Amino acid sequence: MAKVQVLNVAVLDNPSPFGNPFQFEITFECMEDLPEDLEWKIIYVGSAESEEYDQVLDSVLVGPVPAGRHMFVFQVSKLWYVWKSFSMPKKT
Amino acid sequence: MKLLKPSWVSHNGKPIFSVDIHPDGTKFATGGQGEDSGKVMIWNMAPVLRDEDEKNENIPKMLCQMDNHLACVNCVRWSNNGLYLASGGDDKLVMVWKRAAFIGPSTVFGSSSKLANVEQWRCVTILRNHTGDVMDVAWSPHDVWLASCSVDNTIVIWNARKFPEMVTCLRGHTGLVKGLTWDPVGKYVASQADDHSLRVWRTMDWQMEANITKPFSECGGTTHVLRLSWSPDGQYLVSAHAMNNSGPTAQIVERGGWKTNMDFVGHRKAVTVVKFNPKIFKKKQKNGSAPKPGCPYCCCAVGSKDRSLSVWLTSLKRPLVVIHDLFDKSIMDISWTLTGLGMLVCSMDGTVAYLDFSLDELGDPLNEEEKNSIHQNIYGKSLAITSTEAQLSTTIIENPEMLKYQQERQSSAQLGPSSAGPEASAPKLNSVMNGESLEDIRKNLLKKQVETRTPDGRRRITPLCIAQLDTGDFSPALFNSAPILPSGSSMSNQLTSQLSSDSSPGPASSLGLRPGHDPMLTSPPAGAATKGPEDNKDGAKSGLLLTSASKIEPMKALDSRFTERSKATPGVTATISSIAGLVPLDSRPKDGGGVSAPKDVKAKDDTSSDSEDKMASINKNLSFSKRKPELLMDGDGVVEKRKKGRPRKDKMAAPMAQPFMQMTPPAEREPSRVAAPPAALKLPTPSIKKAFSLQVSMEPSVFLEVENEVSLIAGSKLSQLRCSRDGRDWNTLLPSSVVTAAGSSDVLAVACQDRMLSVFSSCGRRLLPAIQLATPASALHCSAHFVMALTAGATLSVWDVHKQKALVKNESLLSILSGADTTVSQSLLTQQGVPVIGLSNGKCYCFSSSLETWTLIADKGDSMVQCADFRSCLPTHDAPVSSGPLAVMQGRNLNAGRLASRLSSTPHHLQQSMTLAFLENQLASALTLQSAQEYRYWLLIYARFLVNEGSEHRLRELCQELLGPVHKSAATAWEPTTLGLRKRELLREVLPVIVENLRFQRLFTEYQDQLELLRNK
Repeated sequence: MAKVQVLNVAVLDNPSPFGNPFQFEITFECMEDLPEDLEWKIIYVGSAESEEYDQVLDSVLVGPVPAGRHMFVFQVSKLWYVWKSFSMPKKT
Repeated sequence: MKLLKPSWVSHNGKPIFSVDIHPDGTKFATGGQGEDSGKVMIWNMAPVLRDEDEKNENIPKMLCQMDNHLACVNCVRWSNNGLYLASGGDDKLVMVWKRAAFIGPSTVFGSSSKLANVEQWRCVTILRNHTGDVMDVAWSPHDVWLASCSVDNTIVIWNARKFPEMVTCLRGHTGLVKGLTWDPVGKYVASQADDHSLRVWRTMDWQMEANITKPFSECGGTTHVLRLSWSPDGQYLVSAHAMNNSGPTAQIVERGGWKTNMDFVGHRKAVTVVKFNPKIFKKKQKNGSAPKPGCPYCCCAVGSKDRSLSVWLTSLKRPLVVIHDLFDKSIMDISWTLTGLGMLVCSMDGTVAYLDFSLDELGDPLNEEEKNSIHQNIYGKSLAITSTEAQLSTTIIENPEMLKYQQERQSSAQLGPSSAGPEASAPKLNSVMNGESLEDIRKNLLKKQVETRTPDGRRRITPLCIAQLDTGDFSPALFNSAPILPSGSSMSNQLTSQLSSDSSPGPASSLGLRPGHDPMLTSPPAGAATKGPEDNKDGAKSGLLLTSASKIEPMKALDSRFTERSKATPGVTATISSIAGLVPLDSRPKDGGGVSAPKDVKAKDDTSSDSEDKMASINKNLSFSKRKPELLMDGDGVVEKRKKGRPRKDKMAAPMAQPFMQMTPPAEREPSRVAAPPAALKLPTPSIKKAFSLQVSMEPSVFLEVENEVSLIAGSKLSQLRCSRDGRDWNTLLPSSVVTAAGSSDVLAVACQDRMLSVFSSCGRRLLPAIQLATPASALHCSAHFVMALTAGATLSVWDVHKQKALVKNESLLSILSGADTTVSQSLLTQQGVPVIGLSNGKCYCFSSSLETWTLIADKGDSMVQCADFRSCLPTHDAPVSSGPLAVMQGRNLNAGRLASRLSSTPHHLQQSMTLAFLENQLASALTLQSAQEYRYWLLIYARFLVNEGSEHRLRELCQELLGPVHKSAATAWEPTTLGLRKRELLREVLPVIVENLRFQRLFTEYQDQLELLRNK
């Protein structure tokens, strides 16, 4: 059994104006106390065909995580994402 | 009959493959296809049953939805106790779900606030073994096992008490296995597959009992499932799709002889599912008419691909009702309520239908007690304990003490089921946690959430804990509460696993369990082999110090022909073969070179046992030359280590090495020089070697080193005995070579070549003048302050050193050494000074000094021992299995019940008497051995067995004996203690066992009161 189970991901503030950040409300369950933080990433899947076009928009550490059910909101500014996508080196 | 199609039960139009009603009737589960995964849903039953509940918005319809399965769910089944739900799907997995009792609210994955789970069901185990889609799962009666079948042609039996442990995998089907059903008595499991066969498997040994093919030969594999069913009385098994005269039928298979004479005919297409009503019915008594003793009958529902459903009563020739066009597609599954009056049917078209019958239509259902009595009549199974739950409502508990015990028992049996209780019938929609609803939590989540930066600049969020995990995770105690196991009992598996884990340390087991040998032949060495770790365990616990029991004899058991050869050349071959038997014990703790030794031995042993007599000498020479260098190396290595006087901390190594050390033969160093004439000798003597050492006890650690012929003074050779005890040494000189030595934490004894036996205290003080033995010593044991000597003339003596008295005086072994080639394979002295002798024929005797006779305490060949089936009476929690002299001598006694599996056909009463006889034997043996721990252990098992089987007279006698006379009088000869255990304390332990069967509540009350009376005196 996996130690961590994702129970729900709800998209908040949807639909929203362009300037608002993305908000994902994540509920997960953990079977035992975790000694280390969990890392969560928001990935923009550029193409379902290949992982090559995946873009990590943001990643965040979540912790400490004792056994039990937990919730958090993962928030990413879209503007920051736009800036990031421009600054990313073009893939050939 | 009423019929309802609740439209709200749906998987959004996707097919529903399975439906199952919870045993308490308050909810039901459906399984099928989800959006892009498998889906299991749990629904509230109340809106199905009652119109007003359906309209009431506050009563939730959907209780929980689980999307964990990656692909379509083919089967959902509740455990019989209602605590667990098992689901199997196309993702090859079986998931076991349990309700999370104290966990906060949650939502369905991907949903926003609207669709909330009212109940929380958490996947507690994923069972992975199948390599194909899982088609059906089934819980055994009492939830001992969970069976799952798959398109990989196998059936896997899981240990439901210890998920995810697999009990076995049943192979044999050559096609996709699509249905499973358990015999209600638990003796069989039946499966139907696409290979045109229905197979019945025994739960005793998991072998195939029957393979029924004839009615299925014309069948095509056209159905998605083949859910067969066993009638509640166990007499009939009804298959899904069968063919008769090219018409689809449901074949009726009779339990007796697996005859296939009858079938249910009428469906136009293949039968996909058959489900028996869990109740047995009898004719409804009409008012006024004379009560006629009608034969009880069963009710069976048949669903087919032709979208129609038929309900049959076994008392009628024609179906009770046939419903056509209930669905648009094939019927997939049927589930009856436990009351027997309601039925849910699901279909591939994604809908379910509920059928409600009345008593007038079906008849009067028999209650559990009547059902049990039918089972008992047919199968002889006493279900006394199982019926207590049902009786509880009818039997009046007469005693507050009894009530207390009952409540304790129930509360311990139901750790979590408060969640599964009837309170769930109308749960509130808004689950509240800490006075805050999920809505409130969500609103403030972003504000409450603490966000920090880690030193490397990353964001770190501290999540909000919305619910503690309920700690009662997958409590096996719940499953253990099933007290009696129908017939096979999963205990056997637990036992065997225990057995293997017990005996696995050391290659000894591989030696004992070598394939291709008659079990009777190998059992003595197996006993000797298990002795090693056993010995060691006891030593570590500072319990019984069982000094090297397996003297020279194991070779006799290994190969009986060694005996003949040893007669011819007593010295050489005998010692070689004894080494062959014992080297593995010693070589185990070593790495490298030692590892190859067991292999060699095995090879050697095999060849020698294969060889003919004329080959023997060649063989002997060969093996001799081959073994010699290795042995020398082994021996030297160990001796060297010992000489440094470094006490070995390795607990395994020391006691195992001990028998080897004592037996290191002089053959390699000097020729055998046994002084006494061999003619009079019945038992072999250890030969003399230059030096040896042995560990006498672990705690405190005492080492004994012997060096023979150290110095020559006036023509006589002196030997030195050196002993180190916790770092302090003493030594003494002896006028003759030391043959063997033994010791306990209290005394040390050495036997010399001149047949003198000397006894020293642990500090080296001579306690007794040298004792002259009649013949050379064969084996020597010390335990506590007792010394036991077994002489080559087959006589046995035991002395109490403290009292300076003989407990056993030159008792001859001839009376037990009957038969030409029986010899002593094992001997030991218990802590209480009771000598025990194990013979190569598997019998084991101890000398009772009070009876002044030999008493048989164990017999490996006794069929009674092997047939006894008391496993259901073993303590449920993993109580320490008795480890004492009795267990040691009986090879941990786990052979008991080995044959029970082959006796599936023996009548129950026969097995019952055999078990009774066996248990009584054990009790008596433990008593003779003065092994208090074991006596208590077997007494409790015995009591439990009596309670389970309901033999009141014996139970009463047992209690009476333990209680003794209530009023003191001078004439009573009653002893208040036995083996140092207070009898009344024992009775206090037995009483809670008695409570388990309400039938004995009067007995319980009687003795409880008397005990109280005595205590107040």
